[in-house]
Amino acid sequence: MAALWLRRAGHHCLRAHLSPLLCIRNAVPLGTTAKEEMERFWNKNTGSNRPLSPHVTIYRWSLPMVMSICHRGTGIALSAGVSLFGLSALLVPGSFESHLELVKSLCLGPALIHTAKFALVFPLTYHTWNGIRHLMWDLGKGLTISQLYQSGMIVLVLTVLSSVGLAAM
Amino acid sequence: PPLPASSSGPSDEPCAHVRRDRANTDFRFTRRFPFPRFVSSSRLSSSEPQWSDRLMSQHFSRTDQPQDAGSKAASLHWTGERVVSVLLLGLIPAAYLNPCSAVDYSLAAALTLHSHWQVQQSFQGIGQVVTDYVRGAALQKAAKAGFLVLSAFTFAGLCYFNYHDVGICKAVAMLWKL
Repeated sequence: MAALWLRRAGHHCLRAHLSPLLCIRNAVPLGTTAKEEMERFWNKNTGSNRPLSPHVTIYRWSLPMVMSICHRGTGIALSAGVSLFGLSALLVPGSFESHLELVKSLCLGPALIHTAKFALVFPLTYHTWNGIRHLMWDLGKGLTISQLYQSGMIVLVLTVLSSVGLAAM
Repeated sequence: PPLPASSSGPSDEPCAHVRRDRANTDFRFTRRFPFPRFVSSSRLSSSEPQWSDRLMSQHFSRTDQPQDAGSKAASLHWTGERVVSVLLLGLIPAAYLNPCSAVDYSLAAALTLHSHWQVQQSFQGIGQVVTDYVRGAALQKAAKAGFLVLSAFTFAGLCYFNYHDVGICKAVAMLWKL
């Protein structure tokens, strides 16, 4: 039944495309463009000083949501770090070894160094493991809600373990 | 796209990735898949049981959906992004197990490309809200150009480091020995 209706609709559309005269009775000239209408909407509403209804403040936080935001956050932080490294290689005088010697001369305790290594490696491991999770989704795997939570927990456990492991090296 | 007069029956919905997170405005969701269509050999008869039987036994042929150039480019870009991600993933153990200058340069390239594309994507998501309603096309163009310059200089800096200094793999090893 639906097929018959679909065929009729298809015929109609085809006719409308082929002979524009036939579809004049359906065509309505638009007074405004979408952009104009959007502008009107915003002009009206910003002028009236109406309060905005709450959204992020009231929506319940969920693990996948938080992990997704953290994935983006760690990604941006890591990119910033890489850019900083690359730019300082071009702009800051002195070799890498000399800079390392400078840090060594500060005689920071092993606990501080260990903490710093952990702080460096934690966003990297989180982003890497969650990145693999993302690639699995791109393959179409593990997209049900329960699988989302399971894989999320696995990523968190792996992140902590690998960060601790790498910082101890 | 207009329905050809001879086809009948429902066409499958293109499958979309359902991401349970904040609204993502990247072109993943506008990617069009070619979907199979039921092709009928004759007109539908009025007898009901025959119609359902015929539907069950239809072999459907895959007709290519006409993709415009923009959609095809976006699709290829998406695939390219995944390839670079997988490459970068593979380079991490390679950097540990087999540190050499080839890995250094590959890391520099994959790292900057991945970060450029992904950060651009994330800012496009946030920027969509801005571009839709706020005037400032010139500002956006300037921001985009500035970001490209930053990525270019990052890549240049990493290559300079690889060439004139110890290289990425060795640098990490030295840093970790602190």
